[in-house]
Amino acid sequence: MIGLRRKSLKRKLLIVSAIFLPLLLLVFSLSLGTYAISLNKVLNIILAKLTGLQSALLSGPEANIILNIRLPRLLLALLAGAAFSVSGASLQSLFRNPLVNEYILGVSFGAGFGAAASLVLLSRTFPPQLLAFACGLMAVVLVLLVSEGARNTMIAVLLTGIIVSALFQALLSAIEFMASPYALQSLFFWLLGSFSQATWSDLMWSAPLIVVGLGLLLNLSWRLNVLSLSDDEARSLGLAVKRERILIICLATLITSAVVAIAGIIGWVGLIVPHAVRGLVGSDNRLVLPLSAGFGAGLMLLADDLIRIFSPYEFPVGILTNLVGIPFFLYLIKKSRASWS
Amino acid sequence: MLVRIIKLEVNYDNFQLRVENLQFSPKQVSVIIGPNGAGKSTLLRSLAGLTRLPPGSVFIDGRDLSAVKGGERAALVSYVPQEHTAALNFRVFDFILMGRSGYLGIFSTPSRSDYQKTEEVIAYLGLEALAGRKCLELSSGERRIVLIARALVQDSNLILLDEPTTFLDLKHEMEIISLLKKLAVDRGKTIITSLHSLDLIPRLADFLVMIKNGRILAAGETGEVFRSELLASLFDFPVRVVEAEGQPLLLR
Repeated sequence: MIGLRRKSLKRKLLIVSAIFLPLLLLVFSLSLGTYAISLNKVLNIILAKLTGLQSALLSGPEANIILNIRLPRLLLALLAGAAFSVSGASLQSLFRNPLVNEYILGVSFGAGFGAAASLVLLSRTFPPQLLAFACGLMAVVLVLLVSEGARNTMIAVLLTGIIVSALFQALLSAIEFMASPYALQSLFFWLLGSFSQATWSDLMWSAPLIVVGLGLLLNLSWRLNVLSLSDDEARSLGLAVKRERILIICLATLITSAVVAIAGIIGWVGLIVPHAVRGLVGSDNRLVLPLSAGFGAGLMLLADDLIRIFSPYEFPVGILTNLVGIPFFLYLIKKSRASWS
Repeated sequence: MLVRIIKLEVNYDNFQLRVENLQFSPKQVSVIIGPNGAGKSTLLRSLAGLTRLPPGSVFIDGRDLSAVKGGERAALVSYVPQEHTAALNFRVFDFILMGRSGYLGIFSTPSRSDYQKTEEVIAYLGLEALAGRKCLELSSGERRIVLIARALVQDSNLILLDEPTTFLDLKHEMEIISLLKKLAVDRGKTIITSLHSLDLIPRLADFLVMIKNGRILAAGETGEVFRSELLASLFDFPVRVVEAEGQPLLLR
């Protein structure tokens, strides 16, 4: 019996690697780029910055590249990977459906439309995160309202999600049509999904939202376990099912929208990462959520690194995740066909 | 745990359950029977606080259930659904541990004492061999026992069960029946369950409730209510209760 309580070695190793893998990748990625900077120098610059010591290094061009160009970009990649993965894992538990993720539920395109509308119609200084969140939430609520009460909710949610996404894509096109040619170009590249334009001022709004949302979701992991049971069971076990479900949907939408608002639409990460993690450690969200955060962050960073290494032009990371994610999604559909009837 | 129903009315699409007055005694096994769609599940769900209850319609130990919410209600009454269909494949131990959720704050995870409670229940039911397995690997009978274990971990004095023996073979059916009896006698639990197999009633039920078309047809001590004419009118089918080896026996 005691054996059931003890944390296994595999579990410990996974937790340690989920923490250190993204950090190691971060340091390594900082040295990567068209302007090569040695790992040694990277570490010294970070150390100097962290300790607040005055160092000649900090005034050099390397420090500027690392601290003002690469660091915000890489941090955004880390946060995006963690946010998509955790929101995906949370939504899958909540909807009792392994195929659901923020992209399927229309959140991505809702948030994309909101951010675009904010940038084009409101002032550029107004944080786009706000409208992104509002529209992302609108999309998911629309999906829920339409698919509610359907006999096969799995198919109903998927279908409604596609339609709602299409609606927000149409709205996006309308916004693009209204935008000036200059704005249109930046809008176009932003929508394809990329971290290349990240700045500290973007992160200033998004990072706190993502960190707080992630923190709360990670602390809701046990509730997510219970909410994955039937409504009757969860309620009889003492949960306020409706309220807790709304809270979790809002948090998942919040962190997704905060990323989409500055990095554009990057789909499928929230499908792939939690699925792989569940394959490794089982279904317990107390483990699935933090591991998804760590590995999702690492994977996103790795994807961005690959792009920076192999593509002379900034190939949008959103296209890459689509090219990997959609075949994977099809594979999952094929595999889970039995439970569809 | 005295359970009282006064003027309970629950409306569904085309169905209405109405109970004027019904009382379940503590530390007894009460069984609810009736034809399909008679309202057995609705009655159980109402007693579990899972339907919209009019204020002052259900009292558990003098407390108005409609005013008891969340974790407090979970500590008062637990509910064992008929079938558990899982989306996620939890380890049996963690699944049983979920019975502690009502005692936890929304942002907390189970503590050492919750684990202890779960281990106690697993030992009491002799489920050690199952604890490390995955829920989706369990047989139908094992799954029922695990659901009952979760209800015991919840630590309420009132346990409601919806058809706990349906689809079970004879051996597992008897296991569940003797467990329910044991929980009432040894642990002082108040058990209210619906039941499909009428032949088990004399063995299990201290108290019997007959329900038909959303109304109570009869309720009373099993010896008084388990009679040919009542059963026949309950199921619209001629059944007879005879005596065999000192036990009432149902003939159809």
